[in-house]
Amino acid sequence: MEAKEGIGNSRRILIWIVSISVTLAVFYLMDQMVMGMQGLPLGWDLSPAQ
Amino acid sequence: MKLDWRYWSQRSCRYLPLVLTMAIIGLCNTGLLSTAHAQAPEADQLGSLVEAGEVGDESAASLLPAPSPQRSDYPTIGVSSRGIVWVVAQMHLFFGALVLAVPIFVLVIELIGFKTGDDRYDDMAHEFMKVSLTAYAITALFGGTLALSLFLLYPDLMTYLMRAFGSQVLVYAGLFFLESMLLYIYYYGWNALRYGNRKWIHLTLGLLLNVVGSTLLFVANSWTTFMMAPSGVDPATGAIIGNIWEVMKGPLWNPLNLHRFIANVAFGGAVVGAYAAFKFLSAKNLEEKAHYDWMGYSSNFISILAFLPLPFAGYWLMAEIYAYSQQMGILAMGGILAWLFVVQAVLICTILLAGNFYLWTGMARSEGSERYRWAIKYIATVLILGFLVWVTPHNVIYTASEMIRLGGGNHPVLGPLGIMPAKNIAVFLMLLCTFLSFQLYRRADKVITVSWQDWGNALMACIYIVAIANIIFAGIYYGYFTNTVYKVGSSVIQVMSTVVVIVSGVVIDTLMFKGAKNLHVSWGKVSDRSQYALFALPITFTWLMALMGYVRSSVRTHWHVYTVMQDNSPDNFIPTLQTVGNMVTLVTLLFLAFLLFIFWIANLSGTRQLPPLAAARSPAMAGSGT
Repeated sequence: MEAKEGIGNSRRILIWIVSISVTLAVFYLMDQMVMGMQGLPLGWDLSPAQ
Repeated sequence: MKLDWRYWSQRSCRYLPLVLTMAIIGLCNTGLLSTAHAQAPEADQLGSLVEAGEVGDESAASLLPAPSPQRSDYPTIGVSSRGIVWVVAQMHLFFGALVLAVPIFVLVIELIGFKTGDDRYDDMAHEFMKVSLTAYAITALFGGTLALSLFLLYPDLMTYLMRAFGSQVLVYAGLFFLESMLLYIYYYGWNALRYGNRKWIHLTLGLLLNVVGSTLLFVANSWTTFMMAPSGVDPATGAIIGNIWEVMKGPLWNPLNLHRFIANVAFGGAVVGAYAAFKFLSAKNLEEKAHYDWMGYSSNFISILAFLPLPFAGYWLMAEIYAYSQQMGILAMGGILAWLFVVQAVLICTILLAGNFYLWTGMARSEGSERYRWAIKYIATVLILGFLVWVTPHNVIYTASEMIRLGGGNHPVLGPLGIMPAKNIAVFLMLLCTFLSFQLYRRADKVITVSWQDWGNALMACIYIVAIANIIFAGIYYGYFTNTVYKVGSSVIQVMSTVVVIVSGVVIDTLMFKGAKNLHVSWGKVSDRSQYALFALPITFTWLMALMGYVRSSVRTHWHVYTVMQDNSPDNFIPTLQTVGNMVTLVTLLFLAFLLFIFWIANLSGTRQLPPLAAARSPAMAGSGT
């Protein structure tokens, strides 16, 4: 029973880690792209590159 | 091989809408382009020759400059000409917006009803059209009055506009005839074309009605945008040197087309929502209450859903106004008219609060809503905080002693909240909260059963969290700590973050609702208070349209047609904010009075007097029976 709960918790943590990582990556790329398309490039840390 | 004509007629009817629409668009394009091609070489040639100085005096004289009327050239009738045109034009716009918008979502509802086989959708769509039909005649009456008022009070301006648009105004008149015919056939043919192949014919008529209606809107918009940002004219003299297409497609035409199209749908949804609330509150039995409760919910859904992307279209329009003329842009958002944007904030927040309140109270219809009730207080908190930030003005007129006590022209704490980055954060978070209310409402009556629901819920939650963080980060970091160019550019990040949430929310929910278990929804068992929120929406929308319509028109200042035809009438100044407030309130009240009349008329058509014998048997029911 405890082992099953442990597996369930691990699965939930995995789902959240993957979801937040994917979402962060998508929004990071979107910020870079949206500003770049306006001629306002950003550095890797999202600070203005100009 | 036997030819099954029934099968083929059914098949062909399904493609009828597409084929007819393509044919009409093709015909319109051919007509427009052929006119343009016929006129273009001559006009272009003359324009370039004039510029190059290679055209003789006689030819140059044929290019008439824009009129320069003097004060004495404006007829006076003892009442402010601007006041008359203001009221009549605004009333025409209100009703025009309503009658063009309603058939758009009616067609979608009718199609849903046809596809699902649920007659409730069909009946609701038909009833929406009843409201629109009554308003149609009033729209035409105000349109005619507006045209007469303009020709009477501003003859030189109308002469110039007729010269610029030429025979296009007759195309407009032709479209109006077509719109009228289609509207009447669409409404009165509803029950005659209700099932099977005939329904496809009816849907086709609805589609054609919307194509013609939208074309009417776009044509009329070109007159407005020509006055704001004229194209196809000689900038020095105002002479018309372009063809009709060049005159129409000014820099503000498409932004205004998009903004008005979306706003009309939101406005139309709000008005029919008020009709549903009116019927709900006067309903005699639970069956009627259930019908009008569902109708009100659908109207609110349409209205708020159309309202969510409206700020993006408004942003595009303002950005194009700035790009066309910085003077115009700064007058609107940084000068005297900026105060009206503060009033706009109050009105938009009222719309959002009313829309959300309706959804929260409506959640009580379903037992499943208990799972999400906890979120309402947090959504309400964000909405109220956003409202407070949005209405905080940047500069307030202080006395000298107040400024000394304050330590400057801006409040040390509230000052930063007065500028756009803070307001953008507030606006986008409020939009996200409203969409969240929608999502919770839609989920309230469902139990999701898909195997990947944990993944779907986690992804949706993460999208909200990251989007909110991104909107706040972009607003604060680029808004307060980088240069102006990055500050302005970063608002696109905020727009995109909001769009990502809305689009992914719709997609994820649609996929997750497949095979979901539906819980019981008690239609009609909703508080009366929620119906007053449905009344608040059209009142606020009307006020908002009148207010911002004034701002859009007023940025022309003392020009009839910006920079090419000056306004020398006695009213060629920007009125005081008090006058604006009074006029905007007057037209709003006038429209609401007409709206009550329309509701009454729509209600009257469903009322049938009992025969004298039956009335004598049941005195209580005499004179009213449905």
